[in-house]
Amino acid sequence: MLNRKIAPKTQIITEIPFKKPEVISLKNGAKIYCIRETYNRTVRIDFVFDAGSLESSRVVAVLCGDLLLSGTDKKTSDEIEEAIDRLGGYLEVGTTTEHSRVSVFGLKEHIVKIVEILIDAIVNVTFDPKEIKQLIQEKRNKLEIDLKKVNVLAKRAFLSHVFQHSPYGKLSTLTDFKSTKKEDIIQFHKKNYLTGLKYLSIVGDLEDDQIDEIHELASQFDKNGILKVNYNYNYTPVRIHIPKSENLQSAIRIGKLLFNKKHPDFKKFLVLNTILGGYFGSRLMTSIREEKGYTYGIGSSVVQYLETGYFYISTEVAKEFKALTIKAIREEIELLQAEEVSTEELDLVRNYLIGEVLEQSDGAQAMMDRFISVNTFGLDLSYYNDLIHTINTITAKEIKNLAKQYLNWESMTVVTAG
Amino acid sequence: MVEFERFTLDNGLRVIFHKDTTTPMVVVNTLYDVGARDENPDRTGFAHLFEHLMFGGSVNIPNFDRPLELAGGNNNAFTTNDLTNYYDILPAQNIETALWLESDRMLSLAFTEKSLKIQKNVVIEEFKQNYLNQPYGDLWLELSPLAYQKHPYQWTTIGKSIDHIKNSTMEEVKSFFNKYYHPGNAIITIAGNLEFENVKMLVNKWYADIPGKEKIIRKLPKEPQQNEFRTKTIVRDVPSDMYIYAFKMPGKAEKDFPAVDLISDVLGHGKTSRLNRHLRKNLELASDIESYVTGTLDTGLLIIMVQPDEAATLEEIDMEIWTVLEKLKASSIYEDELNKIVNKVKTSKAFEEQGILNKSIILSMFELMGDANLINTEIKEYEKVTPDDIQRVARRILNPKNCSRLIIQSKDHA
Repeated sequence: MLNRKIAPKTQIITEIPFKKPEVISLKNGAKIYCIRETYNRTVRIDFVFDAGSLESSRVVAVLCGDLLLSGTDKKTSDEIEEAIDRLGGYLEVGTTTEHSRVSVFGLKEHIVKIVEILIDAIVNVTFDPKEIKQLIQEKRNKLEIDLKKVNVLAKRAFLSHVFQHSPYGKLSTLTDFKSTKKEDIIQFHKKNYLTGLKYLSIVGDLEDDQIDEIHELASQFDKNGILKVNYNYNYTPVRIHIPKSENLQSAIRIGKLLFNKKHPDFKKFLVLNTILGGYFGSRLMTSIREEKGYTYGIGSSVVQYLETGYFYISTEVAKEFKALTIKAIREEIELLQAEEVSTEELDLVRNYLIGEVLEQSDGAQAMMDRFISVNTFGLDLSYYNDLIHTINTITAKEIKNLAKQYLNWESMTVVTAG
Repeated sequence: MVEFERFTLDNGLRVIFHKDTTTPMVVVNTLYDVGARDENPDRTGFAHLFEHLMFGGSVNIPNFDRPLELAGGNNNAFTTNDLTNYYDILPAQNIETALWLESDRMLSLAFTEKSLKIQKNVVIEEFKQNYLNQPYGDLWLELSPLAYQKHPYQWTTIGKSIDHIKNSTMEEVKSFFNKYYHPGNAIITIAGNLEFENVKMLVNKWYADIPGKEKIIRKLPKEPQQNEFRTKTIVRDVPSDMYIYAFKMPGKAEKDFPAVDLISDVLGHGKTSRLNRHLRKNLELASDIESYVTGTLDTGLLIIMVQPDEAATLEEIDMEIWTVLEKLKASSIYEDELNKIVNKVKTSKAFEEQGILNKSIILSMFELMGDANLINTEIKEYEKVTPDDIQRVARRILNPKNCSRLIIQSKDHA
């Protein structure tokens, strides 16, 4: 007879068999990273440029990225989009603080042709004023909508304070859109796209001659290695409240300047963060959602930049629970500093985290993402098996000490909106 | 081609297995054939509230999440108007943990008052966060009852009001479970690098002794043919106006669904779509315009959503939208344009079918529609659509008398 009260036995995972991408060097020094074992006809290619918002205003970088297909002397934006559509291609452009990424999605039989159209469009873009005007209108509308959301207000206030001495704290405002000139966008394109190719990654079952063709096409860009990231990251904690009476909920964001995965304590901190707010069964979720019902969700995380990073906790709660929630968050942090976590909880977190690392390595695209996310920091894939080792061996005492060292309440910036 | 095997247990449980040798993980996906459309009109939002309660402990296991996390897994769930879907992802060697947990909550829940009380609060906060506290968050709360007058699609999965959630009782929770949560009303899909015979043995081990029950035959009120143009205006604290047009269309398993899906792409998917070209690009009347289908199993909606340019008026936009629609009805679409749209559908479906989680969910949904193998044959139905089909279906659907229009007016402009 089946005894349903007893859990089936589980096995522990100690290593992940990683797939290392092929590396091909372009003439200009930039690299192509490639994984071809995908077992179907889909191909994704990412072009990554040193074209984030650090080097200009956020608005200029975002506009430039979104205007890459806005037309050349020979082709209108419609003709370009139409040509890519006919081949069943999809494009996505994303601009972050440190770089921009142009992602191409298509089927194997059409992908080289799609890349050819794309690169011709990016290299020869003329920035039609009509296209600029329309895009500005769209972006302004989106920002206006965003600025009505309490979580957005809290996030903006938090970032602009934590990074007040560096361009990481520079956010786009409605007036930035008015003052942006076509000339700024042209300059940015020239420097940060035409000579700003950082690398490209290919995930798809391509033939050698297809890779060669893409290699040739991508050689039209230069790599200049211009990105400057050494800024003043001095930080002092504050308390900020942004009133917004018409909203039903308040957003809370609490955190501080921290570090990225290059720091020796980063892997250990990930374990601490998971216990506090990094998974569904975390202390914060258990206390504030499951036991008290103040919120739909609460979590904590570390955001990494090339030379630094920050830690934050965020949630949206019913207005009347705002003060109680902050108090409960503080209690959870102080508990981690006062008492060692139990073996049971630590084992749970170890297994959960390893499962997460495994899941993030599921499939070819995921393997590429894992590679990029260490390679960007100058690390290699051994990082992940080291991470698994840290997760399996960290002690409760180390976690308590980390909480004391890095989660001191007085060092936190606390922002509330609404 | 997605290959799979199928079997059914004596208690009615349908099981699908898909082997994928490229991943260290396994997915156990459980779909229950119950959604918001099955709710009592006085207890809307119940199917979704119930989904939350499924995590509050089952008859033999006090906590669902912890043992799964201990096995290196994680999980989530979602509720739609048509169905409720639960999935677990974990290292393949630990698959039994998921089967143990899922089979126990299919057998019976713990039904604790505490869990009900807390999950009511959580869902109420979710209601506020996603539907009331967001600009345009209540769009579907307003549009659904305008478009549907008889069919339960007139309410959204979160429910009509917070009160319906507040007033739910433990008795109702129990009777909902008895009615809908049993093997005959579920489809399980397992995907990963496992052997079929082993999967069969494990599923039998954990599910075979769960008693089978009679499957409820659904008798939902059919939405009558719409014979009038409906329009409603609401004023909200939003930065700009938004106009939404909703046209009734066939359900996902019906014959003309692919044609309507393609029509929505022709009209408003991507920058080269007709509405985008005409209203956004050429006339500069809209800052954003898109079209898509809701894809429900019963009568669905083709949606056109417009964010007007600051200087544009409703009358102008309305006129130009109808011009575009009339043109599609009046003259046949060129093969070329149709091919473009079908090519895009092919790419996006190929990408959707990546990863064991997506594949499991899609297989389960198609099995619910009648045959999991639709995952391989569906695209052929899109390829078969002719320019004549597009015109015929457009003429039938894109009419004012089949349309409900919601105007969200910005407080600042009103």
